[in-house]
Amino acid sequence: MLDVSRVQKELAECNRDQAISGVGIALCDGGSDLSHLTGTISGPVATPYEGGTFRIDIRLPGGYPFEPPKMQFITKVWHPNISSQNGAICLDILKDQWSPALTLKTALLSVQALLSSPEPDDPQDAVVAQQYLRDHQTFIATARYWTETFAKRISVDIEEKVQKLVEMGFPEDLVRSTLKSVNGDENMALEKLCSS
Amino acid sequence: MPSPVPETDPSAAAAEGPSSSNPNPNPSPSASVDAMDAWHWDERSCCAAAADDDDVTQPQFAAEAARVPYVGDKEPLSALAAEYQSGSPILQEKIKLLGEQYAALRRTRGDGNCFYRSFMFSYLEHILETQDKAEVDRILVNIEQCKKTLQSLGYADFTFEDFFAIFIEQLESILQGNETSISEEELLQRSCDQMISDYVVMFFRFVTSGEIRRRAEFFEPFIAGLTHSTVDQFCKASVEPMGEESDHIHITALSDALGVPIRVVYLDRSSCDAANPTVNYHDFIPSSNPRGAISEQQDSIESSARQQTKPFITLLYRPGHYDILYPK
Repeated sequence: MLDVSRVQKELAECNRDQAISGVGIALCDGGSDLSHLTGTISGPVATPYEGGTFRIDIRLPGGYPFEPPKMQFITKVWHPNISSQNGAICLDILKDQWSPALTLKTALLSVQALLSSPEPDDPQDAVVAQQYLRDHQTFIATARYWTETFAKRISVDIEEKVQKLVEMGFPEDLVRSTLKSVNGDENMALEKLCSS
Repeated sequence: MPSPVPETDPSAAAAEGPSSSNPNPNPSPSASVDAMDAWHWDERSCCAAAADDDDVTQPQFAAEAARVPYVGDKEPLSALAAEYQSGSPILQEKIKLLGEQYAALRRTRGDGNCFYRSFMFSYLEHILETQDKAEVDRILVNIEQCKKTLQSLGYADFTFEDFFAIFIEQLESILQGNETSISEEELLQRSCDQMISDYVVMFFRFVTSGEIRRRAEFFEPFIAGLTHSTVDQFCKASVEPMGEESDHIHITALSDALGVPIRVVYLDRSSCDAANPTVNYHDFIPSSNPRGAISEQQDSIESSARQQTKPFITLLYRPGHYDILYPK
């Protein structure tokens, strides 16, 4: 049995400082199933992922928080520890190093840290890892290209972002103009909306 | 031993290599425990092919669960002798010596949480038998301190409060006179209930981690000697995850934080003077003032106080595993 009250507390805690932490969690497709969530991570600055918003599919097994959340990138990403095929993530805390002392937020922050510090010696995607080690320039260029292509597709899900921000209580026209002013970056928009 | 990772994945196969060797040199028939620990380690062999791992390991989990409950029934010490009858003569001799002082043992499942489960049952059983209300009041004060420690270390309340609540609930339910008071059988049943048992294990893991972090300066050299990791890494990797085994660092921290003395009796090949074998034990005695800095002078006062405190919890340690021992 999923610990529903804990998941609710986690969502509230995580989204309270989303603008600062750069990670957020929402119910998948605006549904009501607390065991199926979508996380977002802003690409860390000074990496090829900078400026991108990466979406992560999160499924909570019945044994959560004793069992780790199952996380997988929805947004395609070029990284040695993330499958370029299916988004599977190689990260110890999502497997044997998981602990109930961790949270969805700390897990997402760890994934974000993984974007900053790849570990090519413990790869998920062998092809990417080889390129990272042998032809670093091409790796950087490919990762950046993938970020531009897949993690910045603004128009496709702009309505979704509008809806989400409106649900947070901001007026729709202000949401639209703010999103436009930051090129559709949801987190930057939220930051602006909060500080205005 | 079946490998939980498909052979076709080179990265997984490489990662699996070192963990598949059995680190226990003891060839005794405690092999059931060893084999279990070995595949347990194997199961964590990383990363790639995650989805496939589950399919292979889950039936094994189920098999192990059916074989050994989290906490077993009390057995006469002769059961231990029977286990080693074709084993090392030194261990047989030590078991004989154990028989002079101890009457029974109670096994716990070898799933990496055995120290905490042994401690849980042993402590709660002691309270159930003695109805020592003063001890319960005392430990509740320590538990409250542990909570504050975690808060000051930056843990969000919701990450630990449920685990604390479950343990306190067990404590209260074993004191007679409460409407909800329970019997020894029910205590055993609860200790074998996955939800209650795991929540209490996690409570102890939080307490242990909090104590190590709070006294990081004290624990740092021990941790560095054992694992070459920092205090933070050690707590994250070896204390907080379920299934991570415990050794003297964990025991010291838990004993100090809760103020509960623990005796550990070692059934291993240490002090193997064949002519004159002895069974080693170590008493973990919480310092009387673990919250403050301890000066040398205080320490010497304490050591005389230490000698008077006899642990009411006795655990039997065999390499990689803890069970509960009962004195005569």
